[in-house]
Amino acid sequence: METNQESQSSLERRIDMSVPMADIDKEVEARLKRMARTVKMPGFRPGKVPMKIVEQTHGAQARSEAIGAAVEKAFVEQVREQNLRVAGYPRIEPKKSESDDVTVLEFSAVFEVYPDVVPGDLSAQSIERPQLVVGDAEVDKTLEVLRKQRTTFAAAEKAAEDGDRVVIDFTGRKDGEVFEGGQAQDFPFVLGAGSMLKDFEEAVRGLKAGEGKTFDMTFPADYHAAHLAGQTVQFEVALKRVEAPQLPEIDADFARAMGVADGDVAKLREEVKSNLEREVKRRIQAKVKEQVMEALLAAHPIEVPKALVDQEAQQLADNARRDLEARGLKAKDIPVNVGWFTEQAVRRVKLGLIMAELVKARELHAKPEQIRALVEDMAQSYEDPSELVRWYYAQPERLAQAEAVVIEDNVVAWAVAAAKTSDKAISFDELMGNAA
Amino acid sequence: MSAISQERLLQVLLAPQISEKATFVADKNEQVVFKVASDATKPEVKAAVEALFKVEVKSVQILNVKGKVKRFGKMMGRRKDWKKAFVCLKPGQEINFVAGE
Repeated sequence: METNQESQSSLERRIDMSVPMADIDKEVEARLKRMARTVKMPGFRPGKVPMKIVEQTHGAQARSEAIGAAVEKAFVEQVREQNLRVAGYPRIEPKKSESDDVTVLEFSAVFEVYPDVVPGDLSAQSIERPQLVVGDAEVDKTLEVLRKQRTTFAAAEKAAEDGDRVVIDFTGRKDGEVFEGGQAQDFPFVLGAGSMLKDFEEAVRGLKAGEGKTFDMTFPADYHAAHLAGQTVQFEVALKRVEAPQLPEIDADFARAMGVADGDVAKLREEVKSNLEREVKRRIQAKVKEQVMEALLAAHPIEVPKALVDQEAQQLADNARRDLEARGLKAKDIPVNVGWFTEQAVRRVKLGLIMAELVKARELHAKPEQIRALVEDMAQSYEDPSELVRWYYAQPERLAQAEAVVIEDNVVAWAVAAAKTSDKAISFDELMGNAA
Repeated sequence: MSAISQERLLQVLLAPQISEKATFVADKNEQVVFKVASDATKPEVKAAVEALFKVEVKSVQILNVKGKVKRFGKMMGRRKDWKKAFVCLKPGQEINFVAGE
């Protein structure tokens, strides 16, 4: 078996190989003989089919199988001999023999190898570590948001203004006819929230309970109902109730509603604070991780095998497709193009290769106690932590997920130690805002 | 032999009979086995084989095969009778069916 390897692009390799025809013929014969013992054919008892007929019917198949096997064997042997790490699948090309030599089968395999990743120097890379201490101000802010979510409305004797909820009856007429969807009773909406057309809200604003109004209104030209777009209609509105918004007080009831059983406001603050702290920690970690990944990419300029990128992109596209399908889109309506994911895939493949190499080189493997700690930490925010821990340990795949996270954390910790790290104070809104 | 029309020749042979026995006699006696039309005669079969396969025929033996009785549930059925012809070729002649006549 002769071979000859040449390098093309930095990762693509081509190996020329040749296999003697005689070997293949022998292999074909062996295969046919094995087949003849089991092959079934009308007119013959199983295994009694003459060799000649077996060859006539199965010869081509056996030959192609034999060639495939021989090619693969030669290829694997070469790869092992030269210690190549093949990425993806090789492309086998039959080669036109220059000499009219029919005693050998010549072909070349084109494939890509994994790049050699040399653990790079991170000391030139800088990482900013955001700093934020959760204080009373942050807790207050969060409580404010919680209050707004629990806004109640109470009937009030006043003119309707923005933020109020109004309950109305309305009838819309176009050319004297009530049009479809133009009539409703006891219809509630919040003024200024933009749920109704602007002109409509404008007309209702300032009315008191029990008052009515008749006005003309023109639908915008791009209104979603085509038969109304751009049309002028007459609305008759009767305001039934005006309800002013009321934010709940931060008191025992509020605390109970938020899940603190004994209604202790101090305890509620405590809980909000610890939740916030956890969230802040998580976001800071995410930010640091993002920077670490960037630093890793910058420190390791490697070329990635195209085969791996294609695979990854395909997978990403499939995921996206499945995601959309789960949301009720039909598979054939989804215009997912594998090409969109190429850039992302390149990044992921690069990071995967770098991480794998780092873990190997720096001994950053996940230790069992680390995994345990992580799972327990994740379980903290659930009602029944031990249940979740059990759930994780029940299946190896779930545990593998946790392990991946731990490895990532290890890499991040190592990178943070290796790179120039600076601390930077960051505001609460900034942290929450752009990480959301 | 010229009395047999070209059209009739094409109707005589129905299919080669490929079986253990057929391959056995092919090796042993240089014979080929055919299913033939049930009203075919020996001279017709001989003429048809010679015309279609361009070989020389020494002799033809013919027999009627009774169709098997088959039952489908309660129903009794009967397969058609058919005629089998053993065509003996002159020494050194061969018909290769798979390689397209």
